[in-house]
Amino acid sequence: MSETGRQPEIAQPSRLLSQLADAGETGTLYVDGGSSGTVHLIDGRVSCVESPAAPGVGALLTTSGRLAEHTWQAAVQTGAAGHRVGRLLVEQGHLMQSELELCVLGAIYDAAFFVLTTAATSVRFAPGELHWLGRVVEVEVGALERETSRRGRRLDEIFPESSVDHAPVTPVPTPPVQRVVLTAAQWELVVHADGRRTAADLSRLLGRPGYATLQEVRRLSAAGLLRNAGPPSSGGDRGAVDAPPDEGASAVADPDHGVTGPDPVAEGESPTRTRAATRREGGHRRQRDPQPSGPNGAGPVDAVPDDALLGRLRAALKALR
Amino acid sequence: MSDIDDHLARTMDLPGAVGASLVDCATGLALGSAGAVPGGDGEAAAAGAAEVLYVASGRAPFASARPNDAIEDLIITTASGYHLLRTVPVAFGGQLALCLWLDRPDGNLAMARRRLAEIADDLVRPRPDAPVGSAA
Repeated sequence: MSETGRQPEIAQPSRLLSQLADAGETGTLYVDGGSSGTVHLIDGRVSCVESPAAPGVGALLTTSGRLAEHTWQAAVQTGAAGHRVGRLLVEQGHLMQSELELCVLGAIYDAAFFVLTTAATSVRFAPGELHWLGRVVEVEVGALERETSRRGRRLDEIFPESSVDHAPVTPVPTPPVQRVVLTAAQWELVVHADGRRTAADLSRLLGRPGYATLQEVRRLSAAGLLRNAGPPSSGGDRGAVDAPPDEGASAVADPDHGVTGPDPVAEGESPTRTRAATRREGGHRRQRDPQPSGPNGAGPVDAVPDDALLGRLRAALKALR
Repeated sequence: MSDIDDHLARTMDLPGAVGASLVDCATGLALGSAGAVPGGDGEAAAAGAAEVLYVASGRAPFASARPNDAIEDLIITTASGYHLLRTVPVAFGGQLALCLWLDRPDGNLAMARRRLAEIADDLVRPRPDAPVGSAA
């Protein structure tokens, strides 16, 4: 396995990962220079996976309000060097061991869905390189592979149209049925889908796992309630295309910024902030959304009247919350 | 043995317990399991439990008859057993379900339901004396 170490090569991430697991390797697999994600192995078992498309452990814990931002940052600063951030949070009583395990497990499978489905690309394995979170849980590569393919099949069962996975989405102006029933998670997506945000943007904004967000986007699309907003206007397009690689790069390089890179709840964060408050202000705090207070008519040119109506609808919905 | 496994082992101490699992409702993934699995296929059983809960919470009007009401558990009885699905709300990233399969002759449904609620609570409820936001 040593020749897969230092030099980047072109390979399918999942194939290389299986080889590394079989060899019982310990280290970090960088996919596409890290911009498509990283997989961390300990003795051939997966201890952590990160992807720009999936909120990491830090983002999940802080965006939900479970941990205050400064609590998370302090643990990262203190524990990163010794690869013991997770253990530190438990030792200091901020998290229960079971919560940490649940969060890390969920994050591993979530990010793995995006990293393992990456087509052949530039990959590099750094032997011996450990993740700063430390050893919390371990997952067999085979289990990750099986779950990833099950999730892929599941998405297509819901709605066999993958274009909504990566495109900005927007609610349809008029529902195709007279009565609509949504789950709480679906409601949040509909309210925040503004024709510029993609599923990945929405998952980061709401602190929801990436795959679960994709699943709901497909369900809402299948129900005719959400649609592909098409190529966004130049401003929005730039944000959508540029943001993920930037974030991925910094996530890998800088543990101070949390698992998924730039800190999702940085400015003026109160430890007692509620989840709802975090969400309500979400659009205004995200650098990725450069025009939070602008008009909502930035969609496709042929849909301007719809978007104006949609803006009013969205304002009314927000007022109801 | 992980802490998740410890909690599952506690559910298996209940009289008549045949199998238990912890399922991520959003994805249908089993995050842990103990004992036997209905149908012998853990992945299918977990996905099925998530599906049942999704339908119950989304389609059944009684699931949220009042504001802030939510499903606590679903109980399915069969001729030979009981299946308890206990929802576990998690602050981060959605909802889990603690699923317990009981043998009908030995299982005590009322006791199991109460015990399962306690174990589910222990899984995600922070200790009251835990310091909040005072690291380092």
